[in-house]
Amino acid sequence: MGRDREEVTHITATEAGLTGCQRCGHVWPEAQTHCGHCGSRLRKVSMASLERVWALWWAGLFAYIPANLYPIMHTQILSDDSPSTIMGGVIVLMHHHDYGIALIVFVASICIPIAKFVAIAFLALSAKSEKPDGRHKRTVLYELVEFLGRWSMVDVFVVAILSALVQLGVVARIYPGPAAAAFALSVALTMLSAQSFDPRLIWRRAERRPSE
Amino acid sequence: MTDTPSPAQMKTSRAKKPFWARISLIWIVPLFALAVTLYVGYRSYADRGELIHVDFKDATGIKAGETALKYREVTVGTVEDLSFTGNLDAVRVGIRIDKNIVKYIDSDARFWIVQPEFSARGISRLDTVLSGTFIQGWWDSDVSKKETQFTALDRPPVTEDPSTGTQIMLRARDAGGLAEGAPVIYRGLSVGKIQNLRLDEGGSGVLIDAFIEKPYDSRLTSTTRFWDASGISVNLGAGGVSVNMRSIASIVQGGVEFDTLATGGTFVQNGFPYRLYTDEEEARNSIFGGEFFEPARYTLLFDEPVQGIEIGTKVDFRGIEAGEVTDLSIKLDEDSMGTQFARQQIVISLSPERLGLERNTDNEIVNQFLSTEVTNGLRARTAGTGLLGQTLIIELTDVPNRPEAEMDLEAKPYPTIPTSPPATNSIAVSAEGVFKRVENLPVEELMTSATQMFQSITAIAGQQETQDIPDQLAGTLQEIRALVNELNANGAGKKASDALDGVTRAADSVMTEIDGLSATLSSTDEAAQAIAEIPLGEIGDNIDGILTDLRRMLNTDDAGQLPRNLSDTLEQLAGLLRELREGGVAEKLNGTLTAAQDAAGSIESASNSLPDLTNQIQQLVVQAQGLVGSYGARSNFNAQITDTMRELRRTIDAVGSLARMIERNPRAFITGR
Repeated sequence: MGRDREEVTHITATEAGLTGCQRCGHVWPEAQTHCGHCGSRLRKVSMASLERVWALWWAGLFAYIPANLYPIMHTQILSDDSPSTIMGGVIVLMHHHDYGIALIVFVASICIPIAKFVAIAFLALSAKSEKPDGRHKRTVLYELVEFLGRWSMVDVFVVAILSALVQLGVVARIYPGPAAAAFALSVALTMLSAQSFDPRLIWRRAERRPSE
Repeated sequence: MTDTPSPAQMKTSRAKKPFWARISLIWIVPLFALAVTLYVGYRSYADRGELIHVDFKDATGIKAGETALKYREVTVGTVEDLSFTGNLDAVRVGIRIDKNIVKYIDSDARFWIVQPEFSARGISRLDTVLSGTFIQGWWDSDVSKKETQFTALDRPPVTEDPSTGTQIMLRARDAGGLAEGAPVIYRGLSVGKIQNLRLDEGGSGVLIDAFIEKPYDSRLTSTTRFWDASGISVNLGAGGVSVNMRSIASIVQGGVEFDTLATGGTFVQNGFPYRLYTDEEEARNSIFGGEFFEPARYTLLFDEPVQGIEIGTKVDFRGIEAGEVTDLSIKLDEDSMGTQFARQQIVISLSPERLGLERNTDNEIVNQFLSTEVTNGLRARTAGTGLLGQTLIIELTDVPNRPEAEMDLEAKPYPTIPTSPPATNSIAVSAEGVFKRVENLPVEELMTSATQMFQSITAIAGQQETQDIPDQLAGTLQEIRALVNELNANGAGKKASDALDGVTRAADSVMTEIDGLSATLSSTDEAAQAIAEIPLGEIGDNIDGILTDLRRMLNTDDAGQLPRNLSDTLEQLAGLLRELREGGVAEKLNGTLTAAQDAAGSIESASNSLPDLTNQIQQLVVQAQGLVGSYGARSNFNAQITDTMRELRRTIDAVGSLARMIERNPRAFITGR
């Protein structure tokens, strides 16, 4: 594809000793620390940001483990308390033939978070290896992650809303389990992780080797 | 000039930052997350508690992951999994128990399922309808060797907390009207309940757990007696009808009542066995006492059928009630020829106390004691008590002239005591004989014959001659009246004296004759005795025959003649009377009466002058003597009286012989044969 074609004729901003503002897009000399246009801090394209990505990525992953093992929601009907984990809830919904809702929960709570982990890891790794392949696709992927990441919070919102609504005393009661907090934390951390990723790294040209 | 070599190009590189400087602070975040995750994981693993396994008969209402284990109504564990024991006999329930509780769960722990219960006493554990079945556990606060494998109770125990009362065990012959959860009543108060009604190991009785709450359990001593107070008891006595009922629950579910009837008992421990009597009267009167102990049991084998013995029949030991019959059955034996024959097998239980031994004497010692007694002649036999011996009991007593026998101590199920034939109760035997004979009397035929006889008599009565009899009787009476009138018309004192004299002499003669009469009477007595010895049955037959003969006789023409003969006789009597009157006898009699009247009058008038009266009487006696003397021993009147008496004697003799004849052949009394 033409857009991915290696254009040897132009140089990158870093090579030109410039730094682009991430908010307003104005380009400033490398020495400038703050954008003279919008006032936000100028950050150099640096591999150091990946460290941040990884750190938050791991934190999100760790939070994701208890989020799946502990019950996310307790449904108490009369005095019959039935706790359900995320995956357990999906299975229960499938047993009740609510395949649509089961699919939504499954996609929002299982697929998207996992896909996000994989996507962020892929972006971070590929940025480090500085391979020029599929740069545009990777940018699209990054935007997708940024966009879809928040939808993982659907599950947390469902639990929060149900907990607030279903408080009928002895008859029926829904309250969040420990996994809800862990899940929310996991989603937040992955969102932060994704935000920490500097998409400019995708376009960063590999260091000029002496032979070239 | 030396060509100084140019210095080598120095390769410089920036010193590497130390490791910690290169690490961004951001890594604290995942480390913290990891730490928290690990900590939470560790906590939940560490707090997971320990798994124990409890075997239930069935897992009614138990759900894995949901059903709680509660202790004092606080959840201390959750059912984790359900599986089966190796042979599918029971459900093995894995329960995850809180870590800080599990140490108390040792060998004394008990588990049971709590479900709602509906009974006559009400509904209990209704909360489990909403909360679902749960498993209740109980264990004490002692920490001892930990166990992980338990078997659950089949049903809830009488009480969760054994420290709130005393648990005892009741043994009854049968459960009667008792049901699970029935109350224990003490003086009308419900002080506990019974539970776990079950058959004992041998199947010979029922075991019941009873729990008496504090403080009522202090009323229990070893002398306490329990009885079944189920339902309503109605007593009809001299004081009227008394209806006795306890609570409604005791009618529906039954109930157990107890009372301490004697002082001096010791306080009881948990699990103390009591005997449960069927009613209060039995409880108060029984010789076995309140405490249950396995009494010494013995088998009696009777060759002859024994009727009237039932379970509960008394057993007397030398006249003292010492036990009761506990079982009746038939035992099949083979004789030396291999022929099978049945013998009645009676199992008795004996109270050692009543044998003169200690209350809780070991059965071995009782066996030894009885064995010695048997060698010395003790035998078991049936005997009758009561007025007619109608109540049978078993008697252990010394029997004279018995064949040698020993106790078989090895016999199963219980040692045997040799038996001897039943004691003969003479009244009972003879009464039985009488009843048998009466039973054999041909009453029906007798009645038929009697009916027919009466019909014949009616026929006779209906005859013209019979109806004439009253007329003729009236005629005869008129004659008599005429004679009496004539007697009244004539009066003579002298004749009266004569008559008196004659009467005196006649009386003497009569006295003489009476001696003979007594002989006759004694023979009559013998005859009567002979009659008494007559076999009743034969008499019955004979009476039947007699009646038949009588009937036949009445049907004959001769019988028809009977009234005519009777009227003839009456006519003859009238003639006789007429003759008497013509012969002056009437006048003499009349005279006698007049004289007597005069004499009475004289006595009356002379009542004031007794000596005169005495003289007159003396004179009268002298005169009378003279008169009698002149009358002479051979006077006609005297001779006639003598003849009459002789005739009477002959008649009595004839009656005697008749009696003897009847004795030999009663039918001859009627038929003459």
